[in-house]
Amino acid sequence: MSAGPNGPLLAARGLTKRFGGLVAVDALDFELSPGEILGLIGPNGAGKTTTFNMIAGAFAPTSGEIRFAGERIEGQPPHEIARRGIMRTFQHNMPFASLSITDNVLVGAHTKFRGGLGAVLVGAARRDEAENRRRAEEMISFVGLGDQIRTPVTTLSFGQGRLLEVARALAGEPKVMLFDEPAAGLTPSECERLSGIIRGIAERGIAVLLIEHDMRFLLPLAHRVVVLNFGKKIADGTPEKIRDDPAVVGAYLGEPTAAGRLVAGGRP
Amino acid sequence: MLGRMPQALSWVAAAAALSVIPYLLTSYHLDVYRLLLLWIALALGYNFLFGVAGQIAFSHFAFYGVGAYGVVILWSKLGVPLPLAAAGAVAICAALAFVVAVPATRLEGFYLALATLAFGQLFIVMITEGGDLTGAAAGIQRYALPPIFGHKLTAADYALVIVALLLCTFAILWRLDRSWFGRACRAVRDNSTSAAAMGVDVARIKIAAFTLTSTLAGAAGVVYAFLGNGIAPTTFDVNFSFQLLFMIIVGGLGRHLGAILGTILLYLAPFVLEPYVGHHHPLVYGLLMLGVILFQREGLMGILDAVRRRLGGVRPVEQAP
Repeated sequence: MSAGPNGPLLAARGLTKRFGGLVAVDALDFELSPGEILGLIGPNGAGKTTTFNMIAGAFAPTSGEIRFAGERIEGQPPHEIARRGIMRTFQHNMPFASLSITDNVLVGAHTKFRGGLGAVLVGAARRDEAENRRRAEEMISFVGLGDQIRTPVTTLSFGQGRLLEVARALAGEPKVMLFDEPAAGLTPSECERLSGIIRGIAERGIAVLLIEHDMRFLLPLAHRVVVLNFGKKIADGTPEKIRDDPAVVGAYLGEPTAAGRLVAGGRP
Repeated sequence: MLGRMPQALSWVAAAAALSVIPYLLTSYHLDVYRLLLLWIALALGYNFLFGVAGQIAFSHFAFYGVGAYGVVILWSKLGVPLPLAAAGAVAICAALAFVVAVPATRLEGFYLALATLAFGQLFIVMITEGGDLTGAAAGIQRYALPPIFGHKLTAADYALVIVALLLCTFAILWRLDRSWFGRACRAVRDNSTSAAAMGVDVARIKIAAFTLTSTLAGAAGVVYAFLGNGIAPTTFDVNFSFQLLFMIIVGGLGRHLGAILGTILLYLAPFVLEPYVGHHHPLVYGLLMLGVILFQREGLMGILDAVRRRLGGVRPVEQAP
């Protein structure tokens, strides 16, 4: 598979993960292009988080491959995945509790520092540091935490903590952003704000992969949706197509009468 | 750029002050002063390892000993010229620290503590059982620093060597702490999963922090070797690593200034308390530790921060741990 200018940036082929006798993800194929927002949905236990973890490098697939810009990356450790330009947020915010907001975001830029330890020791890394600090502050403003920049991270609200997760990941100048249930625990107004930020990220040409439970959040936001059930892909298409797909509605809700709620945009 | 001038000036002022003091002290106080500076150098490195990088290691005094024994054995037993012996001892420390770090830093918390404790004990056993090479329990005694450019160093002159070591140690740790490396160390300490997701190679950062700080302890050991022209196993006992731990906790974990203040307080406490409590000063240590852990987790630096805030909302000069 080639990764030409129009080819996919991130692609999974036959991605499979077995835990003992359980097939958590079964021969999954999907593709993600620059600037695209792809939603990955499915009921609990469908294999969403397992898929996410394989891409982020938490564990290796049993079989199948993941290609990033044409190169195989499956089974590589998380720091290597990040170094290549695939950054993630955590569902349960995981900030560096004792670092300032700016320093949290600067850790996200870890792979962008050019000088090694030698440069640090002879004092030649100041410019690098200042440049990255400026970009980190830009990211903090971009997610709307500019006014909180001096606040200790431990006193941020849950929603602000989620925004910090986003700013920190963006500081790594990713080509792909992975969001693990970004709307979980957010208020409706925070969800709206986050949707705007995610659109802004995609408009910068970054490919976005979202794992999400909340249909009301995901369907208006995603360009394309992949639906998983029992580890298998059961649908792949635009949100409109997915919304009307009887297989999806059946799998997701288990009963046809509930379909009306999904179409109406109700929370599953 | 303008902002950097006062910082450079304060370094020069500190160097000048620390260098003048030895010539104003009586020989007894000079001994106290020289050892205090060495303790501060050790505490600064240990604070980076334990407080900043979050590695619960107790091998610091063993590496101090490797530096001291290394330089003396290379120079007085194997006839290596002194500058080469000093560099060689530091290199041995770096290599040994790396070899210990690769397996040890895979361990977390309690297990790293045990492994490094075992290493510290092993070092004591080896130098005690080392026969002629290490001088066994009596250590190696009665060698003397040769004159340098025809000048025989006095005890006060040698204090300048210690000042230079201390300032170099501080400058190295200061720069490391204010760079991507220091941030990565703190990030790994706070949440290693999160740090890895940000592209931090956790194992590499841990190994680098352990190796660097252990090598600095080794350099301090090289300097220590010519302080009293004698070295013995008792100086490098694992107990002293716990004393370092007390010093940095009382000062405020992860804070350079805290390590300095904690060391000054705990090192000088026995001298000040001796007339009142005799040899019971460990009791005072214990109570102080208990007090800090129960009531003032951020140590002396926490008190200092609170005072600063009260005096007009000045932000702390260095980031909290």
